[in-house]
Amino acid sequence: MGILIFIMFLYVLVLGIFLDKILGKVFPGESIVAAFCGILLIYFLFDLLMRMQLQELPTLKVQPYLHLPVKRNTVVGYLVLSALMSFFNLWPVVIFGPFIIKVILSSSGGIAALTFLVSVIALSIFNNYLALYIKRKANVNGWIFLIVGGLLALLICGDFLWHFYSFRTGSYFFFGNLLTKPYLVLIPLLLAAGMFYFNFIYLKDNLYLEELSSKKSAEFKSSTEIPLLDRLGRVGDLVANEIKLILRNKRPRSALTMGLMFLFYGLIFYTQKAYGESMKVFVGMFMTGIFIISYGQFMFSWQASHFDGILVSKVKFFDFLKAKYLLFTVVSTVAFILTLPYAYFGWRTVMIHFVMYLWNLGINTTIVLFFANRNYKRIDLTKGASFNWEGVGASQLLLSFPLLILPYLVYLPFKFAGYTDLGLAVMAVLGTVFIITRSFWIKKLEADFNKKRYKIAEGFRNK
Amino acid sequence: MIEINNLKKVYNGVTVVNVPRLVINKGESIGLVGNNGAGKTTLFRMILDLIRPESGEVLSNGEKVAGGEIWKNYTASYLDEGFLIDYLTPEEYLYFIGGLHGQNKAQADESLAGLADFFNGEILKKGKYIRDLSKGNQCKVGVGACLLQKPELLMLDEPFANIDPSTQFRLKNILKDQNKNKGVTTIVSSHDLNHVTDVCERILLMEKGVVIKDLATSSSTLTELEEYFGVGQSTAAFNIDKEENH
Repeated sequence: MGILIFIMFLYVLVLGIFLDKILGKVFPGESIVAAFCGILLIYFLFDLLMRMQLQELPTLKVQPYLHLPVKRNTVVGYLVLSALMSFFNLWPVVIFGPFIIKVILSSSGGIAALTFLVSVIALSIFNNYLALYIKRKANVNGWIFLIVGGLLALLICGDFLWHFYSFRTGSYFFFGNLLTKPYLVLIPLLLAAGMFYFNFIYLKDNLYLEELSSKKSAEFKSSTEIPLLDRLGRVGDLVANEIKLILRNKRPRSALTMGLMFLFYGLIFYTQKAYGESMKVFVGMFMTGIFIISYGQFMFSWQASHFDGILVSKVKFFDFLKAKYLLFTVVSTVAFILTLPYAYFGWRTVMIHFVMYLWNLGINTTIVLFFANRNYKRIDLTKGASFNWEGVGASQLLLSFPLLILPYLVYLPFKFAGYTDLGLAVMAVLGTVFIITRSFWIKKLEADFNKKRYKIAEGFRNK
Repeated sequence: MIEINNLKKVYNGVTVVNVPRLVINKGESIGLVGNNGAGKTTLFRMILDLIRPESGEVLSNGEKVAGGEIWKNYTASYLDEGFLIDYLTPEEYLYFIGGLHGQNKAQADESLAGLADFFNGEILKKGKYIRDLSKGNQCKVGVGACLLQKPELLMLDEPFANIDPSTQFRLKNILKDQNKNKGVTTIVSSHDLNHVTDVCERILLMEKGVVIKDLATSSSTLTELEEYFGVGQSTAAFNIDKEENH
């Protein structure tokens, strides 16, 4: 999905190009160079936090080379260097590069600009290897991750909460001096080289697959039953299987946790007076339906690895689809109940949420499943979610249009005519009608699926 | 049981399966042999309605397989790990499959008790998800799930490939028992000629998508098959001998 990455890259680039303007706005009355010097270290502190959570360990790539006549140093070098191929290493350059060229180059000359650029790159390399080292260690012992995370949290609290020290002054002290004393660039360079060497040695001593692999040691996996669902017969069994799919695999699990995070979405918008009621329609849809969108957009791909098994088994596709609807209903209902505290912003807010909940269950579920029949891409469940574009295709992009635009197409005309209540009522009625006529839509989707089943199954078989 | 008419599958201009007519009767035990790329798995997939054929049809008990649902009631199959729900424990998976055929846990347990030998204590109550099992043990789960369904038609694609010798013997006995005593029609593909000729009464030999030989197993079948597959091998061995004699 090149387009999405490209768009994200453009955003970051725009941020980089206008960084001088942004700094001028955020720190009025300060020179932008001073402000810039101040934020650099803070950026790298949060960069480290982000990397620890999101960056993936490049490990199993070496497996095909281990038994070939390739020198160990070469293999380790390849492994360590390939770890640099990460988006995180591109960002600092894209964000800070334009500023360095635009401002530092013109005000302090070429050498200062060069030392700044080198320092930024060196610091991101240092962060890169530090984060990977921590992650490798944490794979062996889970406590290390917690301890390091706690230390980082303490470091951040020490500055921003307790004011023992200040990263800004530290950062300003170093980079301010760097402007006039170019030899200081050696410090970040040495840090980066040291961290690189440290990783190199560590990997060389541990070049065994079981130690490198990101799999944690196996614990006893017990069979579980999900209460209530076993009373619903086959559909219940299918939902139980899918809930296990979500809970036992990394990527769908993060789709669920993202849904939980979205429950706080309302706090951002509702506390600001600037946003009107139409914002609540939007936010309400996301809060009660984010799971339908984030999990549903990859529908059927989640089950790609055993799709053949589903097709030959005695599962009727009608039941299969019914199970999807039931799953969406369960999760959205839980999400709706969790958003009830937003009654603090008035019962009308809860009412809008409820309308959007009906809309999600009635219309968005059907849209998502309609597009699921057009999704032929396999997903490897075991891989993490962040920056994982596997399974992303045109169908996800197309899907987002009706999901985002349709509610407004219904709501806004009424709003501009001055009948907001009527608009909400129409949405609620539409949602309810779709919920009541579900069987009809499932039949339609089933017929549609039967036309495409071979193509879907073949796409899922292609690894 | 199975009737195939004018079945054809083409991938990128290459015909991978071309079976003008093939009838498999109820109670037969079929062995499918052929080198890699002969079209065995593709044929299996078309019988199971997983691939749309270019032309022709597959009938199961006189009804079209494509688009049908009835054949699923009496057909059990295991082609590869793609048939297993790999994030479940073997117990969860087997109970799920049992549940699809209307068996409650007690009934499923009863059937599974008969498979204790075959599972050899490596499958049940081990606290592992199916994805963490070895390929051989995954195969045991797949075959076990098939038997749990008490099928009339059993289809296995290279079941002997990954399992240990003891399990191979047990599987052969299971297949014979299913066929002789329970009247199950079995279709098994394998690269091991000894196993197929031992278990199956009728051997289909495929080459480049075509069934070129249809043999009733007799004492001479194994030699006949070895001759077919051994072509070139014996001359090559002969050449090497010559070289060494120099």
